[in-house]
Amino acid sequence: MPPGTQTAATASPVPRRDTSHPFLRLAATLSRACGVASALMIVASILVTCQMIAVRFLLNGSTTWQTEFVIYMMIAATLIGLPYVQLLRGHVNVDLLPIALPRRLRLGLAFVTLGTAFAVIGLLMVYGVELWHVAWARNWTSDTVWRVPLSIPYLAMPVGFGLYLVQIAADLFAVASGRETPFGLSEDR
Amino acid sequence: MDPLVLGLIVALATVFVLFSGIPVAVGLLTVSALFLLVFDGMRSLSLMPEILFGKLNDFALLSIPMFIIMGAAISSTRAGADLYEALERWLTRVPGGLVVSNLGACALFAAMSGSSPATCAAIGKMGIPEMRRRGYPDGVAAGSIAAGGTLGILIPPSVTMIVYGIATETSIGRLFLAGILPGLMLVMLFMAWSIYSTWSSGNMAVLGQRSYSWQARFEILPRVLPFLAIIAGVLYAMYGGVATPSETAAVGALLCVVIAVVIYRMWSISAIWVVLRDSTRESVMILFIIGAAGVFSYMLSSLFITQSIAGWIAELEANRWVIMLCVNVFLLIAGFFLPPVAVILMAAPILMPIIQGAGFDPYWFAVVLTINMEIGLISPPVGLNLYVINGIAPDIPLGTILKGSLPYVACMVLGILILALFPGLATWLPTLVMGAA
Amino acid sequence: TDLRLSHQWSTSDIRHKVAQMVADEVEAADVNLHIRIFPSGSLFKAREQYTPLTRGQLDMTVLPLSYAGGQHQEYNLTLMPGLVKNHDHAARLIHSPFMAELETILNDDDVMTLVPGYLAGGFVGKDKCITRPSDVSGLQIRAAGKAFEEMLSGAGASIASMASSEIYNAMQTGVLQATNTSSSSFVSYRIYEQAACYTPAGDVALWFMYQPLLMNKTTFDGLDDAQKEALLQASEKAEAWYLEEAKLEDAASTKVFEEKGVEIAKMTPEDFEAWRKLAAETSYKAFVAEVPDGQKLLDLALEVQ
Ligand code: NA
Ligand code: NA
Repeated sequence: MPPGTQTAATASPVPRRDTSHPFLRLAATLSRACGVASALMIVASILVTCQMIAVRFLLNGSTTWQTEFVIYMMIAATLIGLPYVQLLRGHVNVDLLPIALPRRLRLGLAFVTLGTAFAVIGLLMVYGVELWHVAWARNWTSDTVWRVPLSIPYLAMPVGFGLYLVQIAADLFAVASGRETPFGLSEDR
Repeated sequence: MDPLVLGLIVALATVFVLFSGIPVAVGLLTVSALFLLVFDGMRSLSLMPEILFGKLNDFALLSIPMFIIMGAAISSTRAGADLYEALERWLTRVPGGLVVSNLGACALFAAMSGSSPATCAAIGKMGIPEMRRRGYPDGVAAGSIAAGGTLGILIPPSVTMIVYGIATETSIGRLFLAGILPGLMLVMLFMAWSIYSTWSSGNMAVLGQRSYSWQARFEILPRVLPFLAIIAGVLYAMYGGVATPSETAAVGALLCVVIAVVIYRMWSISAIWVVLRDSTRESVMILFIIGAAGVFSYMLSSLFITQSIAGWIAELEANRWVIMLCVNVFLLIAGFFLPPVAVILMAAPILMPIIQGAGFDPYWFAVVLTINMEIGLISPPVGLNLYVINGIAPDIPLGTILKGSLPYVACMVLGILILALFPGLATWLPTLVMGAA
Repeated sequence: TDLRLSHQWSTSDIRHKVAQMVADEVEAADVNLHIRIFPSGSLFKAREQYTPLTRGQLDMTVLPLSYAGGQHQEYNLTLMPGLVKNHDHAARLIHSPFMAELETILNDDDVMTLVPGYLAGGFVGKDKCITRPSDVSGLQIRAAGKAFEEMLSGAGASIASMASSEIYNAMQTGVLQATNTSSSSFVSYRIYEQAACYTPAGDVALWFMYQPLLMNKTTFDGLDDAQKEALLQASEKAEAWYLEEAKLEDAASTKVFEEKGVEIAKMTPEDFEAWRKLAAETSYKAFVAEVPDGQKLLDLALEVQ
């Protein structure tokens, strides 16, 4: 059974991550903070949705801002949550090939996949910054009564992808310095 | 280049990239970036974050973390054990009674959780050790829970049905209703197989020995009440004019957390954090795949691959059941490797026109698709339920789990055949409650 | 040259047919110009089309211009209650100085209009008819557009925001008691199954939404003269057809509701004036407060007779 991807079990074990280097510690701390932020945003979404239902069903009042608020919260929870899920090795993957490969090749493959991830997420971050900047400079808002400045929800892109990059870099460093095994697989298989 | 050839190249590239062990979502983004760059140039690349953001810009997605929290909150309490215990006391006389009660508990739990791994974990934590203690073979113990857990996405609420509803613009309330009867049918098939296999193995004497007094049987019933209250509350909110289906999920999540804290005394912050952490992890993983799959399907559409494949299959004028067979084989294979959400999002834009062109009901198809995805959840190399079983009982080898769950896979295939013969199983209830589609 | 056109509607929708007509005409002109249509949001989601259009990542789109109202507040005037009385009035508005002002804003975003056109809509009530402001008081209503929300809120209605795909379900279970959207959406979402009364667009109507066929200007300028000519001619033809069909659309939706046994209500000119007065105090006022030069634009629109 591949232990690489621990997914979704209730109270599932959290993988042990190496923090013997200040950079790894910093990345792990940042990612954990992201996890807490992401979880709190999900909680906020629950509460606001229930508030909306109560206002509408019990008070027969107007509910104009809640859906939009919840949507932006969910987007932010997703993007900001990325580094934390990476830290927990929770991004599901197909680790058939890594398991089949001998140690040295597995190490090489780990560099390739982490490097690719770094490049692609970096691309998203760069264009995310650009999009955020346009929305900010041109004062774009949502087309609702609430008129949220889009630079606020768009900020989740540069921030989320940026911190995700930090965690990927930390993973690369941990594998390169021999502190962690490639793909988090145990070496005895 | 001919879009069909291009489509083949994209498919091969996707398989190649995903097999490298890169996270599925990142892999989809990588393939998309590559093909957009080569065939559309730089200008399309800069669209990627916008499209990803846009795919997540949908209120209905809220229900995904909500239905995951429901399951996680309740399964972190004694509720799963209570439910399981109650069923066991009532079903102990049945051959294979313990397996049957586990399956029943899975089905009931599935009515509260939108996620299969959560269902699997909630019942398996109690069920697997108990079955092994009582002399059931490891394969039966692990296999029945792995399979029973898959009901989490067929019996409403269901995260994959929500994703399907969003991807195909079908009604989520209707999809939920369509899953109920097929879900019950699968449970019954699973139970029938368990009873038969225990009976035919001949060691019923060992397995059916414990019995309970009627007092013990009635004593436990009140402990199932919070469970029924949650299900009733959610159903009332959804169909009673309180909230829309996506909003209802939040009510359910709040209800489950409150019940976990108040009735099951889950006071400590750390216990609550574990529920939140696990829900956040699964939700973010799924939502990121949804966003990335959105970019992937933009690439497919932009290179005109989606439209060409759909047009090509329509031109084949193949028999509709041959088409359905091919679609099923494709879904099964995709399900071996990819989590359900990724399969649905990548396949829905291509499959929907084909399915509807061949005259199949989209709600019926949603059920068939979901059962295929259930099979994928318990097949290697990527089977989310297998990971869960591995977490609960690390000493049971994968081969044993797979052998144990194989008969249940056969039941699911049989279920698909029954659905093909009696499509009303999926379409009757939605029509009854919500009128003709 | 290959151009990509994206929109959110099904292939049976009038707005798809407008796009298809332009594509067919251009094809027939044989000027080596091909328009590939991506319907049903198969390329971009509805509200995510305007930005790529301005950057030339998308060549053409059929788009309710108010969707881009968050980028240019001025566009909100294209979905403003009571600004358009009926289809003939809409046709005059299209060729007025007011629309010329909007075209300047579009041009600044590197976008130009090929086929202008308005579509109308009405009200549906779950239990009763909605013709004048007092009818909506205390109802949970889902309105299409920010300005309508402001006006209905001013009439004492409670606004519920949800995706248009959820309207049917919400009307059925009673979460919503009324809704307002376009004639074609009422039919395609089968709202007639959940409605007691329908107030369609008739001699007067409150809800008009500007939904032109737009094109990226740089892309257009890059075409050769024969291609430009073919495109402009096709667009002119499509504009006339769009107007005729838009009128038929309202009648067709009324017929569908009638056949399903839904009561049909009529908005009188007096009702219309009452709504317009309310709109002036609510949505017009908010618009003028939000937009520099808003009053000037609004006056230009109101000048059109
Ligand atoms: Na479920
Ligand atoms: Na699988």
